[in-house]
Amino acid sequence: MPQLGESIAEATVKHLGIVLGQDVPADAEIMEVETQKATMSVTVPCAGRVADLRAEVEVSYAVGATLGYLEVTMEEARRAGIELPETPIDSPEARTASAEVEDNLHFRYDAGDLFAGEDGQPTVEPVLRGLPVPANATGASYISPRMRVRMAELGLNAADLAAVAGTGEGGRVTVEDFERFLASLEKLPMTKASPMRVAVADAMRRSWTRPLATVGITVGLDAMLAHRKTLAAKPGPTLYAIRALAIALAESPALAGRLIGGRIVHPKGIDIGFAVEVDDGVLVPMIRDVDRQDLSSLMAIYHGLVEKGRSKRLPPEAIGTGAATVTNFGTFGIVWATPIPLPEQNLLLGLGAGRPAPVWSPEEQKFLPVTEAQLTLSFDHRILDGGAAGRLLHRIATLLQSPGEL
Amino acid sequence: MALTYLEAIREAQARALHDDPSVFIYGQDVATFGGAFKATKNLARDFPGRVMDAPISEDAILGMAIGAALEGMRPIVEMQFADFSSIAFNQIVNQAATHFWRTGVPCPLVVRLPSGGTPGSGPFHSQMMESIYAHYPGLIVLTPATVGDAYSMLLEAIALDDPVIFCEHKFLYYHLKEDALPEESLPIGKARIARMGRHATVVTYSAMVHESLRAASMLATEGYEIEVIDLRSVKPIDSDTVLASVARTGRLLCVGESFPWGGVCAEVIARVVADGFNLLDAPPQRLNAKDTPIPYHPNLWAAHRPTAASIAESLRRLLRF
Amino acid sequence: MPDAPLSASPEAERIRSAYRWMLLARRLEEKITSLYHAGKIVGGVYLGRGQEAFSAALGVTLRRRQDVLAPLIRDMAGRLAFGEPLLDPARTYLGSALGPMRGRDGNIHRGRPAEGMPAMISHLGSMVSVVCGMLVARRFRGDREAVGAACIGDGATSTGSFHEAVNLAAVEKLPLVIAVANNQFAYSTPTDRQFACADLADRAIGYGIEGHTVDGTDLAACLRVFEQAVARARAGHGPQLVVGRLLRLTGHGAHDDGSYVPEALKKTALGRDCLELARQHLLETKLSTAEELDRWDREVLEEVQLAVATAQKDPAPQAAREAWCALSSVLQP
Repeated sequence: MPQLGESIAEATVKHLGIVLGQDVPADAEIMEVETQKATMSVTVPCAGRVADLRAEVEVSYAVGATLGYLEVTMEEARRAGIELPETPIDSPEARTASAEVEDNLHFRYDAGDLFAGEDGQPTVEPVLRGLPVPANATGASYISPRMRVRMAELGLNAADLAAVAGTGEGGRVTVEDFERFLASLEKLPMTKASPMRVAVADAMRRSWTRPLATVGITVGLDAMLAHRKTLAAKPGPTLYAIRALAIALAESPALAGRLIGGRIVHPKGIDIGFAVEVDDGVLVPMIRDVDRQDLSSLMAIYHGLVEKGRSKRLPPEAIGTGAATVTNFGTFGIVWATPIPLPEQNLLLGLGAGRPAPVWSPEEQKFLPVTEAQLTLSFDHRILDGGAAGRLLHRIATLLQSPGEL
Repeated sequence: MALTYLEAIREAQARALHDDPSVFIYGQDVATFGGAFKATKNLARDFPGRVMDAPISEDAILGMAIGAALEGMRPIVEMQFADFSSIAFNQIVNQAATHFWRTGVPCPLVVRLPSGGTPGSGPFHSQMMESIYAHYPGLIVLTPATVGDAYSMLLEAIALDDPVIFCEHKFLYYHLKEDALPEESLPIGKARIARMGRHATVVTYSAMVHESLRAASMLATEGYEIEVIDLRSVKPIDSDTVLASVARTGRLLCVGESFPWGGVCAEVIARVVADGFNLLDAPPQRLNAKDTPIPYHPNLWAAHRPTAASIAESLRRLLRF
Repeated sequence: MPDAPLSASPEAERIRSAYRWMLLARRLEEKITSLYHAGKIVGGVYLGRGQEAFSAALGVTLRRRQDVLAPLIRDMAGRLAFGEPLLDPARTYLGSALGPMRGRDGNIHRGRPAEGMPAMISHLGSMVSVVCGMLVARRFRGDREAVGAACIGDGATSTGSFHEAVNLAAVEKLPLVIAVANNQFAYSTPTDRQFACADLADRAIGYGIEGHTVDGTDLAACLRVFEQAVARARAGHGPQLVVGRLLRLTGHGAHDDGSYVPEALKKTALGRDCLELARQHLLETKLSTAEELDRWDREVLEEVQLAVATAQKDPAPQAAREAWCALSSVLQP
């Protein structure tokens, strides 16, 4: 169907002047069609025989639709200046090729593709819905495009701007403020931060974006110390704590779950990490399935990981997302601390230094010397409330005071 | 011997008529009368037959210039006011601007448009039309802001083989004076840093360059150094100079006397945001005339277009961000 | 080119030559129409059927390479007579990259401005002042003999551009010939909705120029009128308004069937086919024979066939090869 007018998209066949098999001369008018503007004829550009006729009267065809085929001799094709196909027109290759070959000169604009979807309906669907629109892009937390790029260049993030006084709208840190701040730093003594330091800083910053809280409890260490004397290989308090934590979590794994969107994702296994100090930071190797192994079988793994951790050569199976972590700051003489859980976990059990303390014995009506330590449990308050955290910590403490179960 | 902006335009035309026999001037009242603004004073006398009075037929004036240009002449058409070029709009954008692209034959003509407002000039004797013409491919659009540029850019425009829309500002005609014509100048397509600065960039053109410079002086007393860029040509726009300036300052204000919808300021900001997004420390701003026809009464007219005070105020808001 | 004629006078030569151009134009346009209805033409097709005599008469009267001809949409005959190569319309209509407009403009917008044939834009009336400018340029260069002809239709005489241009030409006393083909319709608008004056040629009085009216279907009459008008313009008598009365024997474009043209009008003298009349005239005045005219017809069909076949094999413009720059200057910031 030819383009019979600039905005015309289709035409209706009103009269067919040819039949199948008929010979027609060049420029013959072979059918009459009606557009919105006028009635006119469709012609053939060269002489030939009607080999295929698809057009039907009173049916409307889009511009570009095939109405039929004309069989043309080579001589006639040459005379008319038609591009000659290399393969005979009958062959399947030729039919496909002619359909695929872009007809260089005879531009046909198929508007159909533009507007129709799969079922022919127009498809203009919004892809994104519900993107929140920022109401007001100023203030201390607003970072301009230039700032953002500058910070990325220097490896800085929004937390680093905390030290910069902003003179922009609402306390915004402008590029001038920022560059002035950097210039002022240049005057102070500086050392380069190690990659470890930068990594830990980033992890802690990310972790701190959550509402973290800590509960604490006093635990008596005498039972544990006595139990230790009975063993040939001597496990340290950290390992007792790792095992107690694992058993308690195995009883209710959801307590170590992560809140993602509106769902709590339970840990895959009760894998417990423990903090190992290295020269400029902390590594956290992980022991897998601690709930399924007892204290003595854990010993070798534990000591091996401490070794490897100190020399920063942890094996791949000791690196990953665990369920919870233990940190023993008691080794530094610290009695109490509120450590920050790893960004991918929501529990961190802290073990303080053990010391002798007087505890009132109601039976003997006097103070008796015991060895006790402070146990703290830092947790993500979005997932646990104080009660649940407290009960978990209490269970851990109870287990530590019955070391035979570990 | 001081030379006004208008005299510089006349000097350039005299020089062109003298140096090139294919140059002629056509427009209303340009011959004996010397033009409504005297831009062609004495030229008809000094170059007989080369400065011709036209009937009030802007369409035919431009059509005639186009026909002469495609035959190799270099006509200078003076429209009496830029505002009246709308009658010739079809010839300019559909014939002159398309001729080279369609036929391969260039159309070397210059259309001089006395543009911009003066107190009391009203809606039809005040328009800035650079944005409309710049929109069409095939035209070069110039907006000289200095006496030197009025001279050298007009000479360069006459020598170019493409149609040039030369937007001269009527307010600058007699208000702007220089002691001498320049020996050399920046080429067409290069913007000029009219004032160096650090805290913000003002990109502007034509009479607004002078208002912007006054605003910059006001802000200097407040501790801000404002960089002012004179675009000189609005088609093509020297994006490189603009981006380099925004790289230095991080803040951009575009000022134009034309109507606010679309136009030179919108074009500059679009380019800076697209190509220099990370140079910006604040959202880029523009200041144009109000979105109404140009008022007649000087009180209203003064509030309609940007002034040094309103430019300074926009800058303060930009600097506070 | 026509053969050695039976009568060798210049007038005889002109009329025989004009007829052959009319015939070539007619057959070319018939072929283009057929190609249009076969879906082979890029864009619209505008035909000069019924106006060939008026157009060809102007074309043969002008001097190639000295004068200027600004054709409009129904001047195939005049263009060819003035010297437009036959491949130009064939290539432009068939979208060849090798045509004069290189695909950047098409159909009747084609032209060769460097050879005195400016390329029209669609805004009717706007070419008349361009011809004025071309004449002004020639005048500046000392050529006061060149004549410029602008072709226009009855509808376009309503435009402001036409008015301004003719007025300007009159004031400048330019050697301009305005050839108005009054074919009674501007698209579907009849002349009683286009102007109120009795005869378009009367407008000449208003402009202070000379006006002529002619039966546009009569080739000999058209040749006489144009010979006179062109000569008077060349001799410095100022612009000449020539109005030919005829009927458009086709739709506005090949996409229009012209069904609004009253049948009764087609049957009047105005509706006679100028090509038929010219053929009869040549036979009656023995300026040619039936054998010769039939031979011309066959020759012309061959020329058309060859031009179309050549153009069909040409490459189309390639978007990736275009410079996509509308300026001839290179401005480096």
